Amino acid sequence: MQLRKVSNWQLNRRVAYVYPQSRPKKQWAMIFDLNKCIACQTCSLACKTTWTSGKGQEYMFWNNVETKPYGGYPVGWDLGILSKLKLQEWNGDKYVGRTLFEAAEKDEKILQHIAEDEEWAYPNIAEDEVSGMVNQGDWIATLPHRIWMFYVPRVCAHCTYPACLAACPRKAIYKRPEDGIVLIDQARCRGYRECVRSCPYKKSLFNVQTRISEKCIGCYPKIEQGQQAQCVTNCIGKIRLHGFVSTPDKAKKDNPIDYLIHERKLALPLYPQFGLEPNIYYIPPIHVPLPYLEQMFGPGAGAAVETYKHIKDDQTLKGLLVLFVSMEQLLHSFKVDNKYAYGYDEKGKEVVKVPVTEPIYVREFFDKKLKAYRHNTP
Amino acid sequence: MIKKIICFFFILLLVVSAAQAERQRFVEFTSYHVDIDVSKVKLDDAVWKKVKPYRQPLQRQFLEVPKPAEVGVKEALVQSINDGRHIAFRLVWKDATKNDTIKIMNFSDGAAIQFPVRKEAFPEFFMGEKDKPVHILFWRAWRSKDKKDGFQTTKTAYPNMTSDIYNFDYSIKGKGTEKTQAEKDIFISGRAAKNPLSFPRKEIIAELSSVGSGTLASKNIENTSGHANWENGEWTVIFRRPLSVNDPESVQFRAGEKMPIAFAIWEGSRREVGGRKAVSPAWAEVEVEK
Repeated sequence: MQLRKVSNWQLNRRVAYVYPQSRPKKQWAMIFDLNKCIACQTCSLACKTTWTSGKGQEYMFWNNVETKPYGGYPVGWDLGILSKLKLQEWNGDKYVGRTLFEAAEKDEKILQHIAEDEEWAYPNIAEDEVSGMVNQGDWIATLPHRIWMFYVPRVCAHCTYPACLAACPRKAIYKRPEDGIVLIDQARCRGYRECVRSCPYKKSLFNVQTRISEKCIGCYPKIEQGQQAQCVTNCIGKIRLHGFVSTPDKAKKDNPIDYLIHERKLALPLYPQFGLEPNIYYIPPIHVPLPYLEQMFGPGAGAAVETYKHIKDDQTLKGLLVLFVSMEQLLHSFKVDNKYAYGYDEKGKEVVKVPVTEPIYVREFFDKKLKAYRHNTP
Repeated sequence: MIKKIICFFFILLLVVSAAQAERQRFVEFTSYHVDIDVSKVKLDDAVWKKVKPYRQPLQRQFLEVPKPAEVGVKEALVQSINDGRHIAFRLVWKDATKNDTIKIMNFSDGAAIQFPVRKEAFPEFFMGEKDKPVHILFWRAWRSKDKKDGFQTTKTAYPNMTSDIYNFDYSIKGKGTEKTQAEKDIFISGRAAKNPLSFPRKEIIAELSSVGSGTLASKNIENTSGHANWENGEWTVIFRRPLSVNDPESVQFRAGEKMPIAFAIWEGSRREVGGRKAVSPAWAEVEVEK
């Protein structure tokens, strides 16, 4: 089979793909601040009640939150494909190892890890498990932590070069030119599960009731209304931001997504070495050992952690982070001054204004007007 | 230069002999005329004992990626009879595992026979070509189990799974609780999209058309009936249909004439599905005896 060469800015080189390059006009993207995720699963439930409450979707999570290093939905999805891909080498910020398409076995399109039936049955296995044994008298004194864990919320990455789309023998999967959202045509799918086998992130899922495959639809009906996805707007930890990412050469400084990904390189793609140019980006947790973060987010992890540690002295980043989940609308641009962070929609209209630092009000212990003492109990 | 010429002729010789080898595997067989009602023939009726079976060699699908490295079924025995109005095909093949239950990573055993819609200009044997459609009769073991035990659901696949409530599927009666199946189907996307795979069917054999790989489409007609049984490591499946039907895009058999035919078999336990299948190496030909 003839493979094409397409440009992948996350790997700083051209990579193999089944179809010629065809970037959408806009590319759906989501950013997650992993330092703030508490695995409350509100996102999982917001998605579930909106999209996957039907028969055949009982154990289906388009959005899930898993505990690293041991958790995974399906179990071991990451270990499975990473161990198959073998050594994944970077030379500086250029990936010199093989991508999944480049490592495909003979007569296959892409290197695959197949998740077995039972592995889909435990959506939150290894929840809160830490990386190793905590010894008597252990305390946390340094960064990164010796014993660690963190939570990873995951949705479909609406990849620029989707494995599911490439693998589908029926062309039942398509990427929308207007926003880059990847969808499975529910009328055209015949349930071969080539997408389920091929997606390394395991975000194509099989519905045994309908006998065809389904996946995260990127909340396209909300996107079409200029709104962020359900898993974003319902995030109580305010760890998420939804919008559109440009390629580095077209990055706009006032686009909040571009700013975090390209300008500050604070948000990094998930397993970029797979070669699909995934569009879910993570602000890495600062307490996790660097080798683990570099395997997961690429060579930029160390610099991102350093940037994050200094956010308290960085008004723009501080301002941008308080805009996370402060509005229903998608932001196309933002601005931060010495007091407020502002967000604007596609037409440049202000849709949100948030104080960068919440004001503190100190009230008198005795309220003279009400003639009552104030208690600091709720 | 001479070396190059010798090499060239050597390669040419190889190609020609390979093509010859393909030809030798070309199978011709007869659909025998019998004096019974073929539309009602069953799997193990006495008539099949009198009909000589043909050995149909099968090999891995080798034209479209992904190609299986190896396939589970390398040969099928094929028999055919007709009574002047109906025609039946009986396929028997060895398969140590019966795969007819639906789960996330379960794949169904299956068999398909393919005919050109217009045999005057028939396509290469693989899934038809543009303007040269093929008519495919496709049996899946899933459908046989559906017919025997009822349409398989999540509950039959995973009896211990739990779910609190389904939208519009109320267990209480009262204002606003009476919902039609169509309203309930909004939450079952395959059904909402009217995907034929997501609905129960009368027959275990589906009819499809195709004009090239990746173009397989349900015909939404059910002129083919059949039976299937797995016993002692062997599947026996029969396909029965009228010699001719009204649909112009369906295969039309005529007594005394030959019809190209091709076969495919899927071994579910090897996760064979779609193009991961065993196929006949070329068109075979069936002569419909008068």
